[in-house]
Amino acid sequence: MSKKEKGGLLKSEIQYHIQMKKGDVADFVILPGDPGRVEFIADHFDTAKVVADNREYKTMTGKYKGRSISVTSTGIGCPSTAIAVEELANIGAKTFVRMGTSGAMQDFTRVGDKVIATGAVRFEGTSVQYMPIEFPAVASHEMVTALVRSASDAKLNYHTGIVQSKDSFYGQHSPEDMPIAQELLQKWDAWVKGGVLCSEMEAATLFVVGSYRKLRTGAVLLVAGDQAKGESLTKEDYQQNMTESINMILEASLDIEEESSNG
Amino acid sequence: MFDNKVEQVKHLPLKIDEVARYVIVPGDPNRVEIIASVFDEYKLQGSNREFNAARGTYKGTDVSVVSTGIGCPSTAIAVEELAYIGAEVFIRIGTSGSVDNSVKKGDIFIATGAVRDDGTSKQYIPIEFPAIADFELVTNLIKAAKDLNIKSKVGICQSKDSFFGEVEPERMPVAPYLDNKWKAWQKGGVGASEMEAATLFTVAQIRKLKAGAVLAVEVSDEETVKKMTKIVLECINIMERDRRNE
Repeated sequence: MSKKEKGGLLKSEIQYHIQMKKGDVADFVILPGDPGRVEFIADHFDTAKVVADNREYKTMTGKYKGRSISVTSTGIGCPSTAIAVEELANIGAKTFVRMGTSGAMQDFTRVGDKVIATGAVRFEGTSVQYMPIEFPAVASHEMVTALVRSASDAKLNYHTGIVQSKDSFYGQHSPEDMPIAQELLQKWDAWVKGGVLCSEMEAATLFVVGSYRKLRTGAVLLVAGDQAKGESLTKEDYQQNMTESINMILEASLDIEEESSNG
Repeated sequence: MFDNKVEQVKHLPLKIDEVARYVIVPGDPNRVEIIASVFDEYKLQGSNREFNAARGTYKGTDVSVVSTGIGCPSTAIAVEELAYIGAEVFIRIGTSGSVDNSVKKGDIFIATGAVRDDGTSKQYIPIEFPAIADFELVTNLIKAAKDLNIKSKVGICQSKDSFFGEVEPERMPVAPYLDNKWKAWQKGGVGASEMEAATLFTVAQIRKLKAGAVLAVEVSDEETVKKMTKIVLECINIMERDRRNE
């Protein structure tokens, strides 16, 4: 890359992957993994319209109780999440709350519980291309506080604590089939002993990129399955629980003062 | 780990139940009495190696202060043994250097997490695991500082093993390595640099204890130590009140 082009992709007006420009997103963005979930989330806003839809990145922007709010899907995994966060930050987004599902890792994290992540295990390859591995993936205290407030007001079953972010979904679900089975199993055991609450695939990179770009970050993870107990949410329970997660984030957004995303 | 229910632990000058639920952990043994002097009353309990202990009360709550010595190796020993004899909530008081330009000399810094640039925490859990302060403790430390009209900053600190590797990196054989990492911490949003928090947070998380840290940036005078102690004692007071109301 020549000197002239350095940072070119990051500075162009229309962001390369998310296909949006300044003014298209609010300062507060909800980040689900699944593009198919964007519309369901936006249905809980007071107003919303689709502003972009490219690759796995679909965005809707609108209002909730007078507050500007957006939802952008990240796709599965930290690589596509880092792209989404970088490009959204380039066009003025300042607060990012991931909304996703996860697998239980402790006896007391039950299917249907909401986990508010305070930090994440960096068992993924993206965040190490930003910061050395010793750096902790930490959610913003202010965002965690707002999420705890809204979960507590809604009387939901919630936990705060550390989550695990991995790159290989099947490495978690069938570790014994992998050539590095021993490492996967031994590390999993260490995370469980370390009190990690649940396993997911995007939070660590969200938090690390957020620290570097000085963004406010958080994550709400619905416990949708429990490998050890062989439990998972039924389809009806799933919708209901998703609605609870969405409302929790929307109410928490009201504690975060709206900032201009055009500046 | 402590198989034969020993009365006297190996390194600390303390026996089972000779510590409060809340324990303040400074690095310097000489700071133990300075910190305890802010309590309503206190008694010195003795000293062994770098571990100096005192116990007292503040607004009716039982509080201890035990020094850890410098560095994560002795901090891990102190935390393990204190937990064994009954401590549950650990709050470090310490001094630090500033890393990025958001943190200035004289600031009071409340850590939410720590860079694991130490060797000890890696002998507990793989490096991908984050060293994170207890959420409730961070919330109450922020609240206590606010209630006392003391300005504080909140963020990530770096915990290193080599003091001179930070202050004089250029004379180390691994100078380029130290320099590259330091630049990453500066860019990535690390506020303060110290030597114990990463292991304190990691061991506490694994043992299901609560831990936090209050750091003074580039100042270490008695008045500053007392100011940090006031924040910590007020935080303990809030936590104890909440616990009784539950």
